This record gives sequence, C-alpha cells and structure tokens, in this order.
Amino acid sequence: MTQLESVQQTGLDFGELVRRHQSMVFSVCRHFLHDRDQAEDVAQEVFLGLHRNLESIQSEAHAGHWLRKVAVQRSIDAGRRRQRRPQVALADVAEPAAETAVRDPMLGETLRRLIATLPETPRMVMVLRYQEDLDPAEIGQVMEMPVATVKSHLQRSLALLREKLARRGVREERWIG
Amino acid sequence: MDRLEQELKAALGRKDPPAGFAERVLREAARAPARGTALPQRNRPWPRWLAAAAAVVLCAGAGLGYRQYRGEVARQQVMQAFRIASVKVNHIQTHVREVER
Repeated sequence: MTQLESVQQTGLDFGELVRRHQSMVFSVCRHFLHDRDQAEDVAQEVFLGLHRNLESIQSEAHAGHWLRKVAVQRSIDAGRRRQRRPQVALADVAEPAAETAVRDPMLGETLRRLIATLPETPRMVMVLRYQEDLDPAEIGQVMEMPVATVKSHLQRSLALLREKLARRGVREERWIG
Repeated sequence: MDRLEQELKAALGRKDPPAGFAERVLREAARAPARGTALPQRNRPWPRWLAAAAAVVLCAGAGLGYRQYRGEVARQQVMQAFRIASVKVNHIQTHVREVER
C-alpha cells in the first residue's frame, strides 16, 4: 500500500503516524530493553506491523493504543530472545564502594539500570507507569493482567528500588528536588 | 507522587529515536508488500488443500505398500513351513518303508 493509498483508504497518513508516535514506541522499547540499537530494530518492526495492518486501524487514537500494545509485546519477545545479557536480580546488583553524593547527577542512569534488572513483567509495568504515565487500570489493559497484579508489581518494584538506593547511600530526604 | 516516583518519571522520560528513524521506516514500508496484495502467479505457493491432498495420497500409498509387503512376508513364511513339513513327511515315509521291509 502506498502512502497515497493508505490515506485514501483509512484517512490515516502512515508517515504522520510514524512521526507522531516514534518517540513513544522507541522509548518503550529502549527503557524495557536498555539497548538503543535493539530498541531501534524493535521499534521499526512495530511500525512495519502497523503498516501491514493499517486497514484495520480506525482512528489516530486507535493507532496510538495499537502501537503501544504491540511495542510492549514485541519488546518482551525481543527481551526473551536476547540471551546475551543474563538477568540479574535487583538485590544482586553490585554496591559502589563509596557513598553517593547528595545530588547524584547519575541518578537517572542509576534508576534506569536498576529498572533494567527487574524481571520482565514488573519492568514493563514500571515503564508504562512512569514513561507513559498510565494508571494501573490502563496498564492492566495493555498488558492483559488484573489491576491488583499491576499494583502489586508497582509496590514491590518501588520497595526494591528504595532498598537498593538506600544501600547505595541514596536516600530520598537527601535528594534535591 | 513521592520523590522516588518523580525521579523515575524524569529518568524514564520519552526519548527521540536516532535521526532518520522515520525515513528508514517509511523506506522499509515502501519496500514491503502490503497485506492483501496478490503475489505474482509464478511465486504463489501451492494452495493448502492441494498440499493436504498430496499428503493424504502419500500416506494411503505408503499404507497400501506396507500391507502388500506384510502379505508377501506371510506368504513366504507359509511356503517355507510347507517345505519343511514336506521334507519331514518324506523322511517319515522313507523310515516307514524301511521298517515294513
């Protein structure tokens, strides 16, 4: 289907959909996979899937939901295929020798690395909660799981992150907001 | 939303893909055949029903061949048994004749 044909048949411009949603799709893949190159490959695969299914997409909003859901599924699949980086339990991540400074300029990267060590389901729940700003019910819809399970993953992941950061000497009261 | 959650939100903000990503996607999409596009006749794979029919014929043929093979083996076993019995009967007849003399 050419660009012109896709616009004529669905009213949706594929190129415009790519430009509008590329950062959302790429970021879901990147934050979940913690690998820029692989995230780019998976994001491209997601958009090519949209192109193949464009005739079933009814609206701009539908395209956004479709892309988010497929980005989640494809990222999880890619993570499962990837065997080169063994998954490490959050509690097993090495501790730094010295205490972190009051304002850790690397806090964002530290958090991203800690999230990358979470098992796949809570990791994706965290990405959807804090990247996409979805509430637990919306996350449950995207990931096809009960809201209670989503909340449980969020609580446990936050508790683990707090514990891990505290062991690194990073305490919330010392952060400069 | 507490402090940690605010930091998470900042850490997991959306990021733009590498430059030229959208153009690469559009180029790939233009090269990929769209769903529903008929393949050229010479590239069209066999219809599924034809493949299934071929498989059924092959299985039936193989089954028939196997039955014929088993029948032939049984026939040869029977013939061998007859031959053995015949030798034994001849042997007994010879023995009986010798005793009668």
